[in-house]
Amino acid sequence: MLFHIARKEFHNNLLSARFLIGFLLCLVLIPFSVLIGIGDYRDQAGQYKIDRDAAEKTMKDIRTWSYLRPILVFPPEPLGIFGKGVAGQVGNQVEILLGEKPLLPEGKAAARDNPFLGSFFSVDFVDIAAIVLSLLALLFSYDALTREKEDGTLRQQMANPLPRSTLLAGKLFGILMTLLPVLVFCFLLGGLIVLFSGDISFSAHDWGRLALLGTVSLAYLVVFVLVGMFVSARSRSSVSSLVLCLFLWVFLVFLAPNMASYAAESFVPAKSRDNLSGVIKDMDKGLRERQEAATKGLPKPDWPMNWWMSGEDDGREESYGCTASFFENKRLKASIEVPLLIDNADRKWPSQEAYLESLSRQARAAERLAMVSPAGIFRAVAGALCGTDRGAIERRLDDVRRYRETFVSYLRGKEIWSKYEWITPASPAKMVTADVMIEKLSGGRFKTLADYDKWAEKQSDVRSRWTVLQVGKLEGSSPDEFPNLVANDMPRYVEKRAGVAGSLEGGAAVSLGMIAIECLFLFALAYVAFIRYDVR
Amino acid sequence: MRAAMWKVIGKREILHNLYSLRFLLSLVLVIGVMAAGSLSYGRRQAAAMANYGEARALSIKTMQEDGQVNVSRLAVRRRAFDLRPRDNAFIDDAKEKYLPNAVIFSAWNVFGVRSTNESANPLLAKYDELTWAFVAALLVSFVALLFTFDAISGEKETKTLALELANPVPRSALLGGKFVSAVASVTAIAAVGALVSLLILIATGAAGMSARTALETLAFVGAAALLAAVMAAFGLLCSVLARSSNVSLLLALCVWLLFAVVIPNSSGFIAKTAFPIEKAEAVQKRVDKAFDDLNKAAPPGSWMSQSNNPFLPQHELRANLLKKRMAAEKAIRDDYYRTMFRQFERTRSLTAISPAASFGYAAEALVGGGYARFRKVWDDIRIYQGQLSQWFVALDAKDPKSPHWYNPNEDISTTRTKVSFDIVPQFAERPMSAGERGRAALPYAAVIAIMACFAYGAAYARFIKYDVR
Repeated sequence: MLFHIARKEFHNNLLSARFLIGFLLCLVLIPFSVLIGIGDYRDQAGQYKIDRDAAEKTMKDIRTWSYLRPILVFPPEPLGIFGKGVAGQVGNQVEILLGEKPLLPEGKAAARDNPFLGSFFSVDFVDIAAIVLSLLALLFSYDALTREKEDGTLRQQMANPLPRSTLLAGKLFGILMTLLPVLVFCFLLGGLIVLFSGDISFSAHDWGRLALLGTVSLAYLVVFVLVGMFVSARSRSSVSSLVLCLFLWVFLVFLAPNMASYAAESFVPAKSRDNLSGVIKDMDKGLRERQEAATKGLPKPDWPMNWWMSGEDDGREESYGCTASFFENKRLKASIEVPLLIDNADRKWPSQEAYLESLSRQARAAERLAMVSPAGIFRAVAGALCGTDRGAIERRLDDVRRYRETFVSYLRGKEIWSKYEWITPASPAKMVTADVMIEKLSGGRFKTLADYDKWAEKQSDVRSRWTVLQVGKLEGSSPDEFPNLVANDMPRYVEKRAGVAGSLEGGAAVSLGMIAIECLFLFALAYVAFIRYDVR
Repeated sequence: MRAAMWKVIGKREILHNLYSLRFLLSLVLVIGVMAAGSLSYGRRQAAAMANYGEARALSIKTMQEDGQVNVSRLAVRRRAFDLRPRDNAFIDDAKEKYLPNAVIFSAWNVFGVRSTNESANPLLAKYDELTWAFVAALLVSFVALLFTFDAISGEKETKTLALELANPVPRSALLGGKFVSAVASVTAIAAVGALVSLLILIATGAAGMSARTALETLAFVGAAALLAAVMAAFGLLCSVLARSSNVSLLLALCVWLLFAVVIPNSSGFIAKTAFPIEKAEAVQKRVDKAFDDLNKAAPPGSWMSQSNNPFLPQHELRANLLKKRMAAEKAIRDDYYRTMFRQFERTRSLTAISPAASFGYAAEALVGGGYARFRKVWDDIRIYQGQLSQWFVALDAKDPKSPHWYNPNEDISTTRTKVSFDIVPQFAERPMSAGERGRAALPYAAVIAIMACFAYGAAYARFIKYDVR
């Protein structure tokens, strides 16, 4: 009996204009959204290659340990083609620093060169599916009962010994039988476009997640079919049922998610980044003071002259052509300053964490509020499945912070900042005193530093003081004389990619459960409404 | 006689609309969303102003500190001019959160924009704020279609159309009456929503009533009426294109999805496929190359520095080199910014084909916000930078202890006198005038009007031949 009713519904729907137009709508919008997704993915993959090459070059082109900073560049998530989530709102790389823990990924967001394009929004496959599937579901179900009532056929059917629950379930299955091909078609089309795009490779996991996304879409579809049937069972005419359904659609799909984000942003304030920058700046100032105080008593070098030197923030330094005592001074200084630098990162972290937590709390509030709409739940699950949601960013950042700890303890294990390699590749055996250096540089003209200083004081032209020291050559005074640093035993960052089931951990599983509960609840509602329905 | 007939038709249609379920639902939804938006607007605005005040205080503090070190330090330091949160953001926020919100400048140059997403939470998916403009672009367009999609095909199904036309009623009057009444009903909904929202804002103290607010509200209602007109015209077109109201509904929904969802959300895609720009890395390479060339051509000793001896001859060499470097970079970067502006503007021109998008752009211009505002600040700040630079040069000329070698990055070879913050010229943003706003909104309003005429004309041509039986 159930099957008969479902088949009848199916045949009725198949021949209708709405099926044709709905199908055409999918045929146009789905490839469009997937092509946009593929275009974005290609841009991001291209950006990833550029950034990765640049990072590798930077990481290779170093000669001292103090310059060793892993730069992690993250490839775009292939499933981002289907659901872009919020992954494109942060950058794609993190530089591991000693003086600061990674806060958020840096770099170009969504591979965008023009910052003004940030105000252009875009839709992806998940958005289109959320819009079109819900619309189709409502369009097929809004008159499921009212139309038959208006035609008088509902009364005839009910004159037979047919339980109302069977009729309702039959109609549900009939509509699903009509919409299932559309849904499968959407996913097949999307999958095929990806498959034939050539340069995008999905792993088995990715396909599995896509299939799971299809299943979730089906559940989403069922929710809206039930909403439509419930409205139909509560309405006297098809027109009023239609109007109500359309308003519900606009509210649930377009307004509710926006209202949720708006409310979250209004009532769950995020801390200001400017404020955090101010706090960090003050703490860095404190660090410099501590460092100065700690290194005050160090023995002075005999001649504080760098023949080649470069220094940057975060304790990066390389020096060439110094006297042995100046090298020693620098080494001692680094051995005191670097631990203070690392300690400062831990001091900064609570403020950073509070800032991040306020962002996260706001986003979580928005996600929870959006759960009033099936579209909000659907987007949350889709984002988790595609690995582009807030959770994915946060998990990755946690991993990156853990990796930083590993990296720091790797350096600490070597006690590397107490060694000369931290600041120079020159071997300690070849370091010389100031007098020897002066003699070499001046080609024998001055025997000691004191001789040179006496002479230099009398020179009015500043430049001549240096030209006289460019006569002879000092070994090891230029970086070109040294090979690049090779740190083969440095721990590498390994990206953990969650499997099909893993992607659903935490909130996403709850969301999935909520869809299922919503389905049951709505069916019960529709059933109760239909039992009391006046079929005449 | 004719006027009386129009009156009868208009009255009937308006009453028909007023008593309908869709009118009630639209009104509830529009008022509900607008009220929800205004209820939290005060908090948001206060938070935004607090953040702005903090950033502004910090900027003033560094300027004061720099002035106490020396005026050259004050002149060479790069500063950010942060845009003040607009007090009419409840009408349209113009997605300013996702636009650059500061211009970076010193006395010597306007460097660029601050493009980090600092004003928006990166973990929160981008969304439209519940402003009047958002409600109008989404709901007014939707409701206008909903009021008209079955105006003809629906009456045909209920057989009232044939009855009406059995009377001496010209088809033009019938179609016109339906059009005007739909536009009037929808505009009334938007106007009521705006009024309720305004009342809430005033009652909660989030906004004050001024002549400017009244004008802006009127401008908004006018723009909403235009949007309602174009969507109602498309609705009528959908209605006369199909024989049954079911099909015209589907057509109308397709039109709405196209105009309100697909086209506005394809802007990013259109920008990069139709108007691609050079990659930032390539621009950076050109800058690096220019720097390299200049460094190589610079006389030896250019980098020699002695901070306690301003008159060291090498300081002049370096000042010249750094000036040339800045000019070279500025030429490249300014050119890049111009291509960015062009890309953005062209994309907007193309997407203006969607009335909902056009409406958004027009609303943005009418409130004097968003991109148009940013461009104005960008241009104005150049004039200010010229003035600041002149002021500094005049101050430097008075100092006998300065060698007057202007170096855009350092404070060594120019005057080291202290300066009080109060006499430093400050940049004050001039808000867009009513005329400027109107001129900026006009092209978009024209596009909407032309599309409305086109759609209505097509609907009329089709209705003349429509089989009403």
